[in-house]
Amino acid sequence: MTTELQPLHGNQACALAAVAAGCRFFAGYPITPSSEIAEHMSHELPRVGGVFVQMEDEIGSLAACIGASFGGAKAMTATSGPGFSLMQENLGYAAMTETPCVIVNVMRGGPSTGMPTRPAQGDLMQARWGTHGDHPIIVLTPASVQEIYTETTRAFALSERFRVPVVVLYDQVVAQLLESIEVPPAEQSVAADRPWAAAGNGFQPYAETESLVPPMVRPGEGLRVHTTGLTHAPTGFPTQAPPVADRALKRLLEKIEKHRDVIDKSDAYRCEDAEIVIVACGITARAARRAVATLREEGVKAGLFRPLTMWPFPERAFRAATANARRVLVPELNAGQLILEVERLTAGRRPVAGLNRVDGEPLAPRQISDRVKELARHD
Amino acid sequence: MSAEAKRAPGAETAGGRNILVVGVGGQGVIMISKVLALIGQRRGFEVKQSEVHGMAKRGGIVFSHVRFAPKVWSPTIAKGEADALIALEWAESLRWLDFLKPETGVFIADTRRIVPPFACLNRQQGAVTAYAKATPAEVVERISNAYALDASGIAAGLGDARAANTVLLGCYSVALDEPLEHWREALDLFVPKAARAINHAAFDAGRTWAEAARAGTQEVPTMPALFSARGPAVKSELEINAAWCKGCDICVKLCPERCLALDKKQIAVLTKPDACTGCRVCEWLCPDFAITVHQTAVGAA
Amino acid sequence: MTEPLAFDIREYLRLELMPHFMCPGCGHGIALRALLWAVHELGIAKDKLAVVSGIGCSGRVGAYIDANTYHTTHGRPLAFATGLALARPDLKVVVITGDGDCLAIGGNHLLHACRRNLDLTCLMFNNEVYGMTGGQVSPTTSATRLTTTTPTGNAEPVFDACRIAEAAGASFVGREVTRQVPALKNLIKSAMSHVGFSFVEVISDCTEIYGRKNDLGEAPEMILHQKADMRPEAFGNVADQPFRPNRLTTGILSQHDLPEYGETYRARAALLRSGEK
Repeated sequence: MTTELQPLHGNQACALAAVAAGCRFFAGYPITPSSEIAEHMSHELPRVGGVFVQMEDEIGSLAACIGASFGGAKAMTATSGPGFSLMQENLGYAAMTETPCVIVNVMRGGPSTGMPTRPAQGDLMQARWGTHGDHPIIVLTPASVQEIYTETTRAFALSERFRVPVVVLYDQVVAQLLESIEVPPAEQSVAADRPWAAAGNGFQPYAETESLVPPMVRPGEGLRVHTTGLTHAPTGFPTQAPPVADRALKRLLEKIEKHRDVIDKSDAYRCEDAEIVIVACGITARAARRAVATLREEGVKAGLFRPLTMWPFPERAFRAATANARRVLVPELNAGQLILEVERLTAGRRPVAGLNRVDGEPLAPRQISDRVKELARHD
Repeated sequence: MSAEAKRAPGAETAGGRNILVVGVGGQGVIMISKVLALIGQRRGFEVKQSEVHGMAKRGGIVFSHVRFAPKVWSPTIAKGEADALIALEWAESLRWLDFLKPETGVFIADTRRIVPPFACLNRQQGAVTAYAKATPAEVVERISNAYALDASGIAAGLGDARAANTVLLGCYSVALDEPLEHWREALDLFVPKAARAINHAAFDAGRTWAEAARAGTQEVPTMPALFSARGPAVKSELEINAAWCKGCDICVKLCPERCLALDKKQIAVLTKPDACTGCRVCEWLCPDFAITVHQTAVGAA
Repeated sequence: MTEPLAFDIREYLRLELMPHFMCPGCGHGIALRALLWAVHELGIAKDKLAVVSGIGCSGRVGAYIDANTYHTTHGRPLAFATGLALARPDLKVVVITGDGDCLAIGGNHLLHACRRNLDLTCLMFNNEVYGMTGGQVSPTTSATRLTTTTPTGNAEPVFDACRIAEAAGASFVGREVTRQVPALKNLIKSAMSHVGFSFVEVISDCTEIYGRKNDLGEAPEMILHQKADMRPEAFGNVADQPFRPNRLTTGILSQHDLPEYGETYRARAALLRSGEK
C-alpha cells in the first residue's frame, strides 16, 4: 500500500493520527492554540465508535481520559500552557497508577495567560517536572506537521507499551501550519494495546515482571483490583513499608530507563564533523537546520542535533553527535531550559551557549547563523 | 349450657340499669353510652354517665359508666353492681368482669383483639403475646349470661368495621323494651349524617344476632393464637468478629433488647443471648462489619 | 433456612484488608454496608461494578470493596468516572465522595456531572468535616461548629448539596441517614436503578474528630441525633412539620426522566455512521 499525500494543519494531523493510532476517547477543554484538536476529535470519534466529551476544565479532561483508559480505551487530551498547568496533578496520578494516556500541549507564550496566539517553548521543563515527586514520563517534540502525525502515533504506542503518560509537545507555529504530509497506511499507525493481564491465581497488578511493565487489568473480566495514587505494593494496595515503597518508585523510573533503546529518538544532521553543534527542537530546529545549511555553504562546520524524544533526553545520541564538537549552541523560545540539560550532559567538556527569544516570535535562521558565527570568532 | 337456661340480655332487672361500656380509644365507647343515657332519660329516669377518655389516646383504655334509675346517687358503678358489661375489645371485657353482677349480670363483648405494645415485650420471632389468654368459649362457659360475637367482623361485612360499637348496642337493645324508632332517633343524634345508614344497619344486625343467640343458634367465635413478631419461630445467633470490632458502642446502645455489652477489652459481646430477637439492628449499624446475625428455623430439619 | 436474598457483606469485601482503617463509630462503614447491600439486591456482579472515589476518609472506603476500585485525586472522582462510564457503558459506575471532595475542590465537577446526566451514581458521604486531614471546616460544617480551622466557631453558611444537585439538573436526588440502614439501602438501589445521573447525600458521622470537638456525644448519641437536632441550620429544605421542625427530609427528593448522555451520544453517533454508509 502506498502512502498518500495530504495537506493538513498541525492540529488536524494530530487528531487524525490519534484516531489512526486507535484513540477512541478524547476529553478536552477549549484553549488557544490547541482547540482545533478537540474540534477535529469531536468530528472524527463518533464516526469510529469512539467518544468525545468536552469537560468542565482541564483537570476534569485529563481525569476523564484516565478514567476511560482504566476501562481500556486509548485516550487523549489536548491543551496549552494554562490548561497543562491544571493537569499536572492528574498527570502524576497517571504516572503513579501506570495508566496509559496521551497529552498534547501546544505551547504558547507564558507564564500565566501570556501570549495565547504566539509560539513559545517555555513548557519543556514543566513537561518533565511539572507534577510533584519523581515520576516517569515521556515527552515527544515534533517539528513539522508530518512529525506531528508520526509522533502522535508513536506517543500512543509508547504510552500503551510502557503504561506511562506521554506528552506531545509542540508550539503554536507548527500547530497552525498547513503542510502536505505523507499519511501512512492505517495499519502502520495502529498502536498495539498495553499488555493485558489474564486471570490467574495469586495475581498481583503491580508485580515485578521482566519488562518492568506489569500487565494491566481490564475491568469486567474476572480480575478485580484496586488502583490508587497512593504509593502501593505489588498487590495494588497502599503501603508505607520503606523497602516496598522504595522498589515501587524505582521500578516506575527504571521501566523507562530499561527501554531507552525503544523510547529514544533523535535526529542528527551533519554532526559527524561538526565543530559546532546546535541543539534545538520544534520550530526552532527547523530554523536551525536552515542555518546549518547556510553555514556549511559558508564553510562553517555546523551540525544540528534534534531530540524527537525530549524526555528522557536521548543522551547516548547526543554524546555521539557532540563527540567532536568544540562548542554547543542551544537556541530556544524561552529564557533557557533545554540548555540546562545540554549543560548537564556536556559537563563542562566544551562551552555551551544559548540563544533565547521570549517575545512571541520564532527564531529566524539568520539569527541562529549569526550567533554561530559570533561564537566562532572566539575560537 | 342450654339456650333455655340462658336469660335474655338485660332481662334480669326491672326499671333502672347499671351499664358499663368499655373499650379502647377510637372505638366509640362514648357514642354508644350517650345513646344508652338518652334512652334512660326517655324512660323517665334520672341518668348519670361518667367516663374516662381524656387521657386515652387512640388505643388507650376508655370506659363509661351509664346509670339510670328513679334516683341515682353515685355516678359510678361499684364492683359487682353492673347489670350489663358492653365491651368493644376482648381483653377489656375480661378486665372489667368483676364489675358484673354475679349470676345475673349480662356480658356482651366483641371478640376483636387490639394488642397493646406492652403485650409484645417478647419480640422473639414466633413468640406468643402476653395478651389475655382466655378464649370466648371459656368465658361463655363460666358466665351465665355471656354473649361473645365478632361485632367488628359483622360491621366490616356491612361496609365499615368502625360500626362495631353499634352492632353491640343493637345486641344489647333486646334487653330494654324500647321501640326501634327511639333507638334510631338516639343514634341519629350522635352519628354524622353520612354514617347514619351504616349505623342503622349495624344496629339491626346486632339485634338480629342477639335474637338468634337467645334462640341458642349462635356459635361462639374462636380465636387463633397471637404472635408478637411476624413469621415462624427462629433461633438467632450472633457471630461477633472481635478482630474487627472497635468498641464504638453503637450496637450496645442501639440494641432494642439491650442484650449486648462491651467487655473489658472494649469488644462487643452478647450478654443476654435469650433476649436477642435477631432483629439485625446491630449487624446493620456496626460500622466495622463485626457482627453477623445467623437465623435458623426452630425445628427445621 | 436461608432468606431468599441473604446478604453477607463479607462476600463483597476484600477480607485481607479488614479490619478497615476508619475510626470507631465512623458512619462511612455503615454507608458502605448499605451500598454493598444494594449491589447485592440488585444482583450486580462484582466484576461489573466499578467504584471511583476521591480523597479523604470517603475516598479510602472504596478499597475495601471486592470490585474494580479506583482511588483517584482530590475532588475529581466524578470526572474520572465520566471517562470510565463513557468508555465502558457495560460497567455499573458508582462514585463515593465526601462533602469536601464533592462540594469544595470538586464542586465544579459535581455541577457538570449533574447537568450532563451520564448514567452514574454519586454517593456523597457528608460528615460535615475534613476528617482525614485532622478536622478542618468543610462546606457543610454547621454554623458555630468548632473545627481546627474555625477556633471560634464556623461563621460560613453551608451548602445544601441536594438542592445544588437538583438545581444543576441531576435527574435523581436523594438523602438518607446512616441510622436508617434499610432505607439507605433502598435509596441507593433506586439511585442505581435510575437511568441517568443520580446523587445521594448520605448523612454520616465523624465521631472521633468532629463529634468529640463539638461535644456531640459518643457514636451512639451521634447516630441517634442524625435526623433531628444535629444539623438544625444546615439544610434549607427541612420538613415543614410542626412537631419536628428541624427534621431532615430524606428519601428520594426529586426524580426526573431525562435523556441519558451516553445513550444519546451513542445513538447520534450511530445515526451519523449509518448516514455516511
